[in-house]
Amino acid sequence: MSARPTRRKFSSGRAPKKLKLGLKPDDPIDYKDLDLLRKCVGSQGQMFSRRRTGLTAKQQRRLKEAIKRARHLALMTFVG
Amino acid sequence: MSRIYEAMFLIDNDRVRAGWQATKAAVTGLVEKHGGQVKTSRRWAERRLAYPIRRRNRATYLLTYLDLEPGSIPALNRDLEINDMVLRHLFLRTAAVPAAEIELSAAESAADFIVPEPPPDDAVDEPERREHHDEDLDIEDIDDDADLEAAIEGGRRERPPIRRVEPAIVAATPERTEG
Repeated sequence: MSARPTRRKFSSGRAPKKLKLGLKPDDPIDYKDLDLLRKCVGSQGQMFSRRRTGLTAKQQRRLKEAIKRARHLALMTFVG
Repeated sequence: MSRIYEAMFLIDNDRVRAGWQATKAAVTGLVEKHGGQVKTSRRWAERRLAYPIRRRNRATYLLTYLDLEPGSIPALNRDLEINDMVLRHLFLRTAAVPAAEIELSAAESAADFIVPEPPPDDAVDEPERREHHDEDLDIEDIDDDADLEAAIEGGRRERPPIRRVEPAIVAATPERTEG
């Protein structure tokens, strides 16, 4: 019998619901598409993890670039 | 060999109020000075900035597609940094100019196109307040009391009730089995 972990990452014991972004694996992610980018950041502007966005590694990298570009142009806030 | 770039310029509204077409010509003139060829250019948006830049709270975005020698970009970057009119800029390589951009750019160049004037209230006293929805503050995602406190501080004043998970549910869906 294994001991139950004392501290779990998610209090409900399951991963948060993945976002439904409707992106195909090869779709480009544009920094001007703010409706999409806003869905992928939290209330303070922090990016969601892949676990949360449900994107592939490649898409997540594209998302990262797009968000950083949007931040540079003051379209999105930096985390704060 | 020249390449096609997508370029976004963030332009000071004070300058835009003096005349949009003249402002646009000034920016494209700067690109042409460095051997670039402007394919399309149009006003993408006039909006509040996510954070103030040079004490400006609002600015106009100019989206252009350029044909440019890659070697001329560093010099152009330097010129744009010095320029007071351009608050920020971004160059990105693209494969081709989108067809929709050509149409939109042509529509803006037409004589009967009226450019909306930027609103006069640039120095807005109150910074943009983000709306806080309950879904933004996802308690389930917060694994630390400190994080929770921070999230509550940013979100709402009152601490929401934290749902205790029954051990039975945890046992049914073990996340980590080792240990």
